Amino acid sequence: MIRRPLRPLARVLRARDEGGNPDAIAAENLRLRHEEMRDRARARAEGRLLVLGFFFFVAFLTIGVRMGALAATEAEEPRAVANGNPIINQRSDIVDRNGRVLATNLDTHALYAQPQQMIDPAHAAVELARIFPELDAEELLEDFTGNRRFLWIRRQISPEQMQQVHDIGDPGLLFGPREMRLYPNGPIASHILGGASYGREGVDSAEVIGVAGVERYFDAWLRDPANEGQALELSIDLTVQAAMEEVLAGGMTLMEAKGATAIIMDVHTGEIVAMASLPDFDPNDRPRPLTEGDQSDSPIFNRAVQGVYELGSVFKIFAVAQAMELGLVNAQTLIDTRGPMTWGRFRIRDFHDYGPQLTVTDVIVESSNIGTSRIALMIGAPRQREFLGSLGFLEPTQVEMVEAPTGQPLLPQQWSEISLMTISYGHGLSASPLHLAQAYASLLNGGHRVRATLVRQDGPQEGERVVSEEVSAAARSMLRQVVTRGTASFAEVPGYEVGGKTGTADKPRPTGGYYTDRTISTFAGVFPAHDPQYVVILSLDEPQQFVAGENRRTAGWTAVPVAAELIRRTAPLMGLRPEIATLDPTGVTQTASH
Amino acid sequence: MSYLTYHAKYVPAGPRKLFYLNWPVILLLTAVAGFGFLMLYSVAGGSAQPWMEPQMKRFALGMAAMFVVAMVPIWFWRNMAALAYLVSLVLLIATEFVGETGMGAQRWIDLGIVRLQPSELMKIGLVMFLAAYYDWLPVNKASHPFWVMVPLFFIGMPTLLTLAQPDLGTAILLVAGGGTVMFLAGVHWLYFATVIAAGIGTVMAVIESRGTPWQLLKDYQYRRIDTFLDPANDPLGAGYHITQAKIALGSGGWTGRGFMQGTQSRLNFLPEKHTDFIFTTLAEEFGFVGAFALLMLYAGIIFFCVASALTNRDRFSALLTHGVAMTLFLYFAVNMGMVMGLAPVVGVPLPLVSWGGSSMLVLLLAFGLVQSAHVHKPR
Repeated sequence: MIRRPLRPLARVLRARDEGGNPDAIAAENLRLRHEEMRDRARARAEGRLLVLGFFFFVAFLTIGVRMGALAATEAEEPRAVANGNPIINQRSDIVDRNGRVLATNLDTHALYAQPQQMIDPAHAAVELARIFPELDAEELLEDFTGNRRFLWIRRQISPEQMQQVHDIGDPGLLFGPREMRLYPNGPIASHILGGASYGREGVDSAEVIGVAGVERYFDAWLRDPANEGQALELSIDLTVQAAMEEVLAGGMTLMEAKGATAIIMDVHTGEIVAMASLPDFDPNDRPRPLTEGDQSDSPIFNRAVQGVYELGSVFKIFAVAQAMELGLVNAQTLIDTRGPMTWGRFRIRDFHDYGPQLTVTDVIVESSNIGTSRIALMIGAPRQREFLGSLGFLEPTQVEMVEAPTGQPLLPQQWSEISLMTISYGHGLSASPLHLAQAYASLLNGGHRVRATLVRQDGPQEGERVVSEEVSAAARSMLRQVVTRGTASFAEVPGYEVGGKTGTADKPRPTGGYYTDRTISTFAGVFPAHDPQYVVILSLDEPQQFVAGENRRTAGWTAVPVAAELIRRTAPLMGLRPEIATLDPTGVTQTASH
Repeated sequence: MSYLTYHAKYVPAGPRKLFYLNWPVILLLTAVAGFGFLMLYSVAGGSAQPWMEPQMKRFALGMAAMFVVAMVPIWFWRNMAALAYLVSLVLLIATEFVGETGMGAQRWIDLGIVRLQPSELMKIGLVMFLAAYYDWLPVNKASHPFWVMVPLFFIGMPTLLTLAQPDLGTAILLVAGGGTVMFLAGVHWLYFATVIAAGIGTVMAVIESRGTPWQLLKDYQYRRIDTFLDPANDPLGAGYHITQAKIALGSGGWTGRGFMQGTQSRLNFLPEKHTDFIFTTLAEEFGFVGAFALLMLYAGIIFFCVASALTNRDRFSALLTHGVAMTLFLYFAVNMGMVMGLAPVVGVPLPLVSWGGSSMLVLLLAFGLVQSAHVHKPR
């Protein structure tokens, strides 16, 4: 056996000399070495631990001190931070003339997912599809397991839905606050309000922007933080608006019309008290514009403001009023109404043959195209154009809606004599019902130009004079007689002394010429005639009324009864007292009278 | 020096092991988890669903696993260390691979009962493996350049894999945890000094090079650094979390707004209110007192772990216990530092408090190892 020498060799040698066991000496040496080594390792490890302990201590100290420092800082309120956020803003409310809310804000939440943080995408997808039936579980799962880091699931969710999603318990499903525009009255005044949508969207907030109507027109004002807490006050009266929409919808159904529009305007202030266009929509869920077909068939199309139509005989009063203003005729002047009237290759006919002549009043009452054309010839084209211009027919209305500029009147390219004559009875010039409303108001309020407005006014508009007080009164008298003994007899509403004019215009074919069986039937009126307060315009698109064995499309049978119902319903709401003519007090003893 | 070289006078066996558990650590862990349950109840708006109840179940499961691990002798775990590391690494590679083939950047592996992030598993696997490595390696070779390169390689591989996920928080924890074991194992301090100096040098170079033609980072990366240094610069973007969290801490004050009264987190100012930023809820509702109490609970756990390691003559046990303590410490220190703006936002949960099963289960398994080392230490 070869034994390796061990250190210290001297000890081993000495032990051998003394007869000891060299193996025991070797083991003892090994043990000592091990112990020495262990002690060294331990000393080093303890030194290291000391360093580590110091590191722990410093880290704890840093965190603790930082905690204290933060706890001692003044609490910044979250609100202050929200104000500094350019996206979060509190959009102003929109209210009607009596302060009732038309548009306000609701705090809701948006739901989004961060698929990377999802624990159980399959479970979450199934649960989400259960909560939101319109979502598809398989598509969701695909999104959740793909490479996407972020995806919107729903822009707005109700508190109940939020709780349900919350209960799924997946940390990858997250909520962001969303301020939502709410129209508590649903479709009422939908075209006026327009609608709102989201602009810049972030996880924690989103910008609400108006997309149409006054929401868009006043967008900057509504979003201006300086106006926080103030509401935009419209001229609309919510009750009148609601009544109007109800009556209009009923009338549209009854008359089998495909569309309808109505306006009630204050004649002195130009304030639109109510304005409706059917079919309508719910601004809380504004439909998208049509991608094909005629935009004017879309529910979002505002017939009152955007739609320009040849409005027919309602125009006749303008020619007559102008002629009286110019001193060419008075109410009793006789006008030649022999027909048919030929002008070049054009022929102008009347609905009936009214005999050789009519007074100016009767031209209006009987609605004679020939009579009106002859009066127009006395005026001449340049003066007619100027007069219609002063009533606002040559340019879009300036009502405070973003759609207003699109209601551009269609004017004849050459204002020839034939144009002069056709325009005098409402053909050859297309304008919106709102144009008509502001022109009637200007003409009949005593002769001051008013411009249509949707914003509540403090007093009457003192616009430039368009006709004299006397001509205005005479025009009202004529319109009153149209109701008492003329084509608009159905418009009589006891106590409100309605005056008005009917208009039945054949619709133009897109290919040229006119349809014989499609009309726009319009009633334009004022009430009460002796002390004008409101102008009412009501127009039905393609109405028909089957009466006594024939289809009647004229306004007297279609638009007028609906307008009468409208006035009957809304006049009391606007604070007008019916003035019932005093009956002959036969057999009644009156102790006092005035 | 290996366990078998000691002459253990007494090692408890059977049910008697229960008396030798490190009970203070168990109590402290439960207390910390209790804080978590309260906070999850609060951020759910006063409801056990959807967070508190599952979290309690997971904690119970984790505790049971901890006891099982604790009953198994520590030398068995030492022999398992290499296997644990290997399995974690394979899973980590598998997730990378599966991720590339269309399942998305999924960090999760479904184990049936519970899903685990392999990167979480790796934190424990790495500490175990390095402890076993230095137990095996003769002490005098610890500082030999070759024997230093070996653990660096084993730390570097999983770190690169988690960085690729990308998960910066876990990568930092892996490097720091592994580095701690190496440091305690006695690797020469010059290595660490070199690494730290190189790190500082890199940071200096990065900052100094800004605006020069040879700048090292892209502009947007510099902006991120700016945001970390001064979150107010970008309060709506990257600085949003930090700013909001600081507001929460400030509004909590010394005694807090009261349980369930926090506004910052309840009003959804913080998207990650129940995960990484749960500490803000705690600080807001319980104030400095509550936050400091939690910090002290963590400190208590660290203290008892270090005390256990110091009295343990077995090298593997001591290194493992230190490593686990360091991992826990890094978890909460990075999380709290991140919330309070001392560290960049890297996405590290608050251990045992944040919602999420993976890190909780892995931590409790790790404490099972610590308990096993404590029970079976040579007496």
